[in-house]
Amino acid sequence: MNRVVAALFARVFFLTALLTAPPALAPTAAQPAPLGDPRTMIFDPVTITVPEVERVVLENGMIVYLLPDRELPLVTVSAMIRTGAIYEPADKVGLAGLTGIVMRTGGTARLTGDQVDEELEFLAANISMGIGAESGSASLDLLKKDLSQGLAIFADMLRAPAFESAKVEQAKRQALEAIRRRPDSPGGITAREFRKLLFGADHPLGRESTTDTVSRTTRDDLVAFHRQFFAPNSLILGVTGDFEKPAMLDALRKAFGDWQPQPVALPALPPVTASSGPGAGRSVNILRRDLSQTHLRIGHLSVKEDDPDYFALALLEDILGGNSFTSRLFRDVRSRQGLAYSVGSRIAPGNAGPGVFMLHALTKGPSTYQALSSMLDHMEHLRQEPVSTEELQLAKDAFLNSFVFSFADSGLIVGRLMGLEYHGLPKDFLQRFRDSVVRLTKEDLLRVARLHLHPDRVIILAVGKDNDFEKPLSTFGRITVLTLKPGG
Amino acid sequence: MQRLLIAMIGLVLLTGAAAAATLEERVVEHRLANGLTLLLMERHQAPIVAVNLTYKVGGVHEHNGITGVAHLYEHMAFKGSRTIGVTDATQEKPVLEELDRLAEAITAEKARGTAADRTRLAALRKQFAETETKADGFVVPAELATLYQRHGGVGLNATTGKDLTRYFLSFPSNRLPLWAAVESDRMANGVLREFYKEKNVVLEERRQRTDNSPSGRLHEAFSAAAFQAHPYGLPVIGWPSDLDGLSKARTEAFFQTYYGPANAVLAIVGDINQKDVIALVEQTFGRIPARPPSPPVLTIEPPYAGERRVEVEYAAEPQILIGFHKPGADHPDDDVFDVIDSLLSEGRTSRLHKRLVQEKQLATSVSTFSDYPGAQYPNLFVIGATPRAPHTAAEIEQALYEELDRLKKEPVTPRELEKILNQVDAAQVRALRSNSGMASRLGYFQAINGDWRETFKQRDRIARVSPEDIRRVAAQYFTKSNRVVATLVKPAKQETESKP
Repeated sequence: MNRVVAALFARVFFLTALLTAPPALAPTAAQPAPLGDPRTMIFDPVTITVPEVERVVLENGMIVYLLPDRELPLVTVSAMIRTGAIYEPADKVGLAGLTGIVMRTGGTARLTGDQVDEELEFLAANISMGIGAESGSASLDLLKKDLSQGLAIFADMLRAPAFESAKVEQAKRQALEAIRRRPDSPGGITAREFRKLLFGADHPLGRESTTDTVSRTTRDDLVAFHRQFFAPNSLILGVTGDFEKPAMLDALRKAFGDWQPQPVALPALPPVTASSGPGAGRSVNILRRDLSQTHLRIGHLSVKEDDPDYFALALLEDILGGNSFTSRLFRDVRSRQGLAYSVGSRIAPGNAGPGVFMLHALTKGPSTYQALSSMLDHMEHLRQEPVSTEELQLAKDAFLNSFVFSFADSGLIVGRLMGLEYHGLPKDFLQRFRDSVVRLTKEDLLRVARLHLHPDRVIILAVGKDNDFEKPLSTFGRITVLTLKPGG
Repeated sequence: MQRLLIAMIGLVLLTGAAAAATLEERVVEHRLANGLTLLLMERHQAPIVAVNLTYKVGGVHEHNGITGVAHLYEHMAFKGSRTIGVTDATQEKPVLEELDRLAEAITAEKARGTAADRTRLAALRKQFAETETKADGFVVPAELATLYQRHGGVGLNATTGKDLTRYFLSFPSNRLPLWAAVESDRMANGVLREFYKEKNVVLEERRQRTDNSPSGRLHEAFSAAAFQAHPYGLPVIGWPSDLDGLSKARTEAFFQTYYGPANAVLAIVGDINQKDVIALVEQTFGRIPARPPSPPVLTIEPPYAGERRVEVEYAAEPQILIGFHKPGADHPDDDVFDVIDSLLSEGRTSRLHKRLVQEKQLATSVSTFSDYPGAQYPNLFVIGATPRAPHTAAEIEQALYEELDRLKKEPVTPRELEKILNQVDAAQVRALRSNSGMASRLGYFQAINGDWRETFKQRDRIARVSPEDIRRVAAQYFTKSNRVVATLVKPAKQETESKP
């Protein structure tokens, strides 16, 4: 026993000396750890070598990023396409999503949809295709040896999808069933209703598909939507994995080179008028569901990604509820009060339209008022008092020391460059983010909190059983009771 | 042509096997004197490292009365130790002990049911609240997570399943000493502070994942119906009343029993130097004293005698789960089920997807699970499906049984088997793309199969499965008397919205 203790002390002494950190002894009788106190450990800064990514523009306007990474015999080709559900007609909401799905399932000029699946799955190759709100995306991931076969299918799918009628019908039926099942997921209801409140139920960023809009959509609509947006000049491609650049460029030219460019018009997004401006006050919205747990969202529109205050606001949001375990919302609403398992905040900076700043939690019906009240207090508090020195330092350290994970693999590096180019942001955006985080002060955060956080005019949404709430939510603002429409 | 095809297949097989061999050579195994297994893989793509600490403990080690204890302990492991997460552990101790006495008095009083003394209960609760506030005064909130985050830790989290409890994160590789100090400390000297509040957090987790989730409810009832004796039938999240009554003493005893170093597998993958890490882990985790082996799970589910069917009423669209009892990880038939699993539901060309989703369009999705709800002990092969209106769960059930009967009658084609092997090969290559994925794989196979090499041998085991094996296994296990069926149905009087 004595020998063990002596040996441990010897290690403590040796290792703390190595780490050049003071052997800060805890003021308790607890056994000292063999490496010294982890709170006082000091390490060299994390250095990152960012690999050079080549950007090539093909003759037909297609932009290609290339970053070879020879560790594994795999190749990944990903694409961003200038399109999105925000460009679909209002009476055919869901069209963009269906187009993406059937491009993947509905065959090409050379192969039927079923043949495509057979061929890809036999090679264990993956192709995905989808169209989201503000962009389209596609990816091909396969073993290097299968590249030419996979790339041919991938190019065909992007350039000349066949939109087989049976697959169109199948996708529509699936979409209709998904609409039928929307009421089963309280989280889904909450997310969609909140977007409607923020952007307006008719705005391209707020609207949702319905039984009507999906039923009305035809194969011809899918064909036309594809024709309108898919062109080489509206594509950004990123290639990573095991390849030689010249050979890859040859392969890409062979697959896409004779695809003719065409003008692609992206209509401007209508302005968002639904949300409250200054002086509008808070709105409290209740959607009654027979649940033992209330889904809460609190938020308002926020900055675009290119806003000079975005970086400061993002760090502020980390402190409020972004960082798990250590954020104010997690520590108070979850750990101290035990009111929630899921609680936090989020900032989604805008690109095509405005961004969103929001707080969210799930809490049992009888603690809805308490949770909501605490969350609003935290939001208000950020405007009243500067964050503490320790909080700011932790948020900065966490950001800067984990920065290396933004470069953890080649796919991340290339994917980011594609996204930045797509959204018209500078290619050194992340570096600027980092540099500005280093410089941020408590005063900066207080300034952006006062300028960009508006607890006095937030939209509040509570989905749950309001009979169970311990107090009515009317003290927070005027209550509107929402109803869920069948089929929408 | 035919010959050429066979030659090509041979080549592909070789490539797959060769890739596995090289990967296998990159793994170093080291056993500490206290029994902890350390698995290391160097991967120098970026200056980062992923760690995965897996304990062979989970819901399977519980029984009614203490359900949820493994998962609750996992939450408690983030609350710190005698030095982390506290201002003064010596002064904190008597306050926590007083709190536990009050909690046990409350539980005892409540257990008297209608005879409970309400005045006494109220007084105890008041005292409890005051003492809890006193205990809060010693808490340094989230200090453990703060240390990790400050040093760039990402993905800090943990999971509790039937067989395993797993703790993991990634961080810059030069911070490994910090991680070793913090992690070995919390695993040896954990203090159950904020215990009673965390129960409320877990109850919220239960409301989110089970009580207000149609599929959560269905799965809970399905497992309970399938296992009448074996603890796989108990919910990992815990029955609410068990959580409410769970004492700190029971939780602490559970930790002492199952968190010994011999029950732990520590997998570290990334930009590391194997020798340095072994030394570091010896200095830290090596100090944790060995503990007696944890007791084995003795209960064996008695053989089935007849189909079991359970209906779960909930105001939601229908779902169905069908399970067949099958052996656990150590039985050769387990590999056959892995093949059947892929055959039936892996990808769009899989049999069930093709038949139910594409051709008959009875379902919007269909999936299978070959080790449900756990992998270690005899378990279930499960098929789950979501009917597409107006089709019913009964129609799906019928179509599923037709497909299972096909497995019993017609031999599976060589091309189908070859496709599965190709997918296993590719999956093994892709597994190395992420440090955390690889660490998780190594830790999983070491903990469940007793040997991390199984992750690389999986391919050979699957290659050995023959069409006849599949036919035999299907005929033996996919029988009516061996199955359990659970369906989600709407209550007779549907009420989806509460009245104002």
